[in-house]
Amino acid sequence: MEAGKGPVDLEKEVLNEGLCASCGACVGICPYIKVVKDRVAIIEPCGISEGQCYDFCPRTPTDIAALERRIFGEESPDSSLGSYISIEMAQARDSETRSRAQYGGVVSALVTYAMNQGEIDAAVLTRPFDGSLMPTSVMAEQSSQVLGCAGSSYITSATLAELNKATKQPRGAIGVVGIPCQVMALRKMQASKHETGAKGVKLVIGLFCTWALSYKGFNEFLKGKVDPSSIKRIDIPPPPANILVVHTKEGTMEFPLDEIRGSIKPTCNICYDMTSELADISVGMVEGIDDWNTLIVRTPEAKRLIDKAKQDEVIESRPLEESRLDHLREASLNKKRRAISEIVKRTGDEKNLLYLRLSDGESRKFL
Amino acid sequence: MSTLTVDQPGKSVLMMGNEAIARGAIEAGVNFCAAYPGTPSTEIAESLARVAEHFGLYAEWSTNEIVALEAAAAASLAGLRAIVAMKQNGVNVCSDFLMTISLSGTKGGLVIVAADDPSAISSSNEQDSRNFAKFADLPLLEPATFQEAKDITKWAFELSEKLGLPCMIRSVTRLSHSRGNVKLGEIPEGRPVARFEGAYIAGAFVAIQHSALHQKLEQAREAFEESEFNWYVGPEDAKFIIVTSGSGWFYSREAVAALGLGEEVGILKIGTTWPLPERFIIDHLRQATEILIVEEVDPFLEQNIKVILSEQAKTLGPIEVYGAKSGHLPGFGDINQDKVARALASIKGLEYRTRDEVYAQRASDLALPILPPRMPTVCPGCPHRASLWAIKAALKLDGRDGFVTGDIGCYSLGAGPAGFWQLKTLHCMGAGTGLATGFGQLGQFGFNQPVISVCGDSTFFHAAIPGLINARFNNSNLLMVILDNGGTAMTGFQPHPSSGYDALGRPAPVVEIEEVCKAIGVEVKVRDPFEVDQAIEDLYDMLQEDGVKVMVFRRKCYLVESKEKGRKRVFVEPEKCIGDDCGCARFCSRVFNCPGIIWDQEAQKAKIDEVVCTGCGVCATLCPRGAIVVEGG
Ligand SMILES: Cc1cc2nc3c(=O)[nH]c(=O)nc-3n(C[C@H](O)[C@H](O)[C@H](O)COP(=O)(O)OP(=O)(O)OC[C@H]3O[C@@H](n4cnc5c(N)ncnc54)[C@H](O)[C@@H]3O)c2cc1C
Ligand code: SF4
Ligand code: SF4
Ligand code: SF4
Repeated sequence: MEAGKGPVDLEKEVLNEGLCASCGACVGICPYIKVVKDRVAIIEPCGISEGQCYDFCPRTPTDIAALERRIFGEESPDSSLGSYISIEMAQARDSETRSRAQYGGVVSALVTYAMNQGEIDAAVLTRPFDGSLMPTSVMAEQSSQVLGCAGSSYITSATLAELNKATKQPRGAIGVVGIPCQVMALRKMQASKHETGAKGVKLVIGLFCTWALSYKGFNEFLKGKVDPSSIKRIDIPPPPANILVVHTKEGTMEFPLDEIRGSIKPTCNICYDMTSELADISVGMVEGIDDWNTLIVRTPEAKRLIDKAKQDEVIESRPLEESRLDHLREASLNKKRRAISEIVKRTGDEKNLLYLRLSDGESRKFL
Repeated sequence: MSTLTVDQPGKSVLMMGNEAIARGAIEAGVNFCAAYPGTPSTEIAESLARVAEHFGLYAEWSTNEIVALEAAAAASLAGLRAIVAMKQNGVNVCSDFLMTISLSGTKGGLVIVAADDPSAISSSNEQDSRNFAKFADLPLLEPATFQEAKDITKWAFELSEKLGLPCMIRSVTRLSHSRGNVKLGEIPEGRPVARFEGAYIAGAFVAIQHSALHQKLEQAREAFEESEFNWYVGPEDAKFIIVTSGSGWFYSREAVAALGLGEEVGILKIGTTWPLPERFIIDHLRQATEILIVEEVDPFLEQNIKVILSEQAKTLGPIEVYGAKSGHLPGFGDINQDKVARALASIKGLEYRTRDEVYAQRASDLALPILPPRMPTVCPGCPHRASLWAIKAALKLDGRDGFVTGDIGCYSLGAGPAGFWQLKTLHCMGAGTGLATGFGQLGQFGFNQPVISVCGDSTFFHAAIPGLINARFNNSNLLMVILDNGGTAMTGFQPHPSSGYDALGRPAPVVEIEEVCKAIGVEVKVRDPFEVDQAIEDLYDMLQEDGVKVMVFRRKCYLVESKEKGRKRVFVEPEKCIGDDCGCARFCSRVFNCPGIIWDQEAQKAKIDEVVCTGCGVCATLCPRGAIVVEGG
């Protein structure tokens, strides 16, 4: 939304600073920007000074309040969890879905349902385990493909590139499942003056996210310990466990989280959003209850879909205990505090929050 | 029918210099020909291979020049007549054997043709191979005309046999690649029986062998004194004489004529340039007070003649010598009539203008709009363009400032825009991998840049295998990318060990590049560079691994492919092309820059130049808008 900037600036401000989240928003638009694994690079400057790449990136200046107004009609009244209509806990009713899903299977169930109902024609998903540690981006056109993408990969894949490819081959209504940086980029794509595949996105399901890992670091860490092709599920149980659990065909292995922290993407340390505040629906875990999800419904359209899904017995829900909600708020606020302090450490200036354009009042809360 | 098979002695035939050399070999009854292709020598062996079956001679493309020379020497040692042809750099490659075969001597006539490339039009260096004849103590002949190219070659076999020494012929591009009339001689009949006898050991009593070699050279000198390839034209008592050899003869004659100096200036033309025919030269320089030496590349003749002049100072008196040292001629690059005339005019204090300047200006004004300005590039449809783009992308994604060490082949152009400026070193055959194995050992000095060496399929067999084995043996870190386009493309697609056919076009066993690499014990992948994204990903992945890895980018040169399989029509759908806009910025015509794609200034859209396009279709896979369409998919 900062006019007059292009790939040269993107390279300087984001890529060279190690701040790329590998969301994929800038990938697949043009032949100059490529991704392999989770590495994004500008192969050659295209010569254009004002480009989509810079415009879409979640790590270039972003006016959060303006995006909120665009999506929710107002700025978020809640500094911890963003705009929402309801917060509850939910799970998929189908036990097959639950057994393959990361937690309660709400995401997979909702995407499948939305496709079967004709609410969306295709869904941009991420297949977490595909014979290698690197997840793959998927444009699912059949609801039967959705469950193949169940589970969480803690490595980011340039999922949004699928939307850019959709510019070449237009599709109808699209649903997207993404982590917070991807959701933010997607919203920037929608708000942009450029013609993009994101304009066809009708449903945005955001996941909770504290951080993600770099492929290179995590792959090196697991080398010799785990055969990546045998991984079935990876989980990070809530504190105080402080471990990462890898389930493979051969069995289960636990690794101390502290040994993995070095592989956390640097961009996650400046990420301000834990609960995908700009999504239509946000889904995360319920601490301590493995087969349920925390479900945040944010837009009226989303509420309509959720209500229908409940009626049709696709998902069921229960109220979320107040203590859990407080805990969630605290976790989210903690992420914001950490992000702001890391950003200020980088810039050395409380007024310069890199990509974040917050009102003074808002930023002061976290300084 | 080939001009090589015409059996009509006395008939005059138009021939390329290289064909004339081949014809000379035929007239000498040559039995064996081995060569590695290299401009401007290639057509010599190529024309002999074409008539090999007809004459019952043996012809091969060897893996490199030293092997070619050794193979041909074997035929000589078995009493046969053999010829090897190579470009200047080939002489360097075979120099080790050259320096020892001169000591052991040979039996059947063995002729080595070295074709120099003045101004390095198709080479990575400029050199004067005549120095090698002197260095190795071998007799050297330099044809000046097309007729001589044939006749000298024929005679070289006889001389070689008489001396028991290989005989070297030096040609240059101007002679090898132009055409002129040649009067044919007789083609001998019958085929000798090959038999090896005796022993040829260089290194036994070397000092004695070396002195014997010098005696053989003295015999050569004696033969040269009477040679029909040395002659003088001009006034009997000329005070000013041009001494010249090889292509210099043409230029000198034309320059003298252009300046109208025929009555005044003589030309002494030497065809036997090492060892020099001293008596012959002294005889013709008795009256001279000034000489101008005209030759191509190094002042070889000039320096050797100066030695004679100083030794004969008493007899000849003072003679002013003009040439490279005096600055009248360059001593590098090619020469032409103009340069010689200019030198002559400046010495003589004459006015000389090449051509009317107004005419020259008008000609270039006229030519400019017709000839689009183009940087040297690889052909349309060349797989190297895609390979080098993939390499560039993988190195950028890797982000550690990796670089490419180059080698000799069409892909040498990758040092320029054709390869997105990727090649950062470029020297000789095999050097890319040799350098890479060294760079890959610098980790202990803080070096952390990944290194990619590129080499062609033919270059791999020629010179890159030892480097790869060295890398493996010494545990280096490198990624070797073999650009396998199915043949020795740069010189006209001659076969090599993995082509599946031989110099005569007969089926041949295939030496699989990847099998060789596997046997060396390195990781090897084979990919199609036209699947660009996959190629980028695989290269990137390989760069992340330590050790020695090989990527074979296999895709046939599309000029050949389209000739074999027919050309598909490729065109741009203008409504889909977004041209200069964000999302493309004219990637195809501006960055990827295949000569088959042009930018239609008026329509502001890309356009396929259907005359140039080979139909490879790689641009269609790269266009971000799917605007480029390959007819029939
Ligand atoms: C990197 C990452 C970090 C996370 N961190 C937290 C956290 O700190 N706290 C928390 O409560 N929850 C976190 N989650 C969310 C959690 O893991 C579950 O995805 C979420 O609770 C939904 O559960 P489910 O059973 O409905 O998922 P499922 O029904 O199994 O569906 C999972 C969906 O996630 C998508 N997906 C998988 N991997 C990725 C990926 N790498 N990027 C984008 N999309 C992906 C798939 O497309 C699939 O549709 C994280 C998820 C990811 C990917
Ligand atoms: S073409 Fe557009 S999206 Fe691609 S690098 Fe250039 S400005 Fe960015
Ligand atoms: S964060 Fe997303 S948009 Fe920004 S540079 Fe990385 S991949 Fe591109
Ligand atoms: S790559 Fe495609 S969109 Fe870009 S200029 Fe060429 S034809 Fe047009």
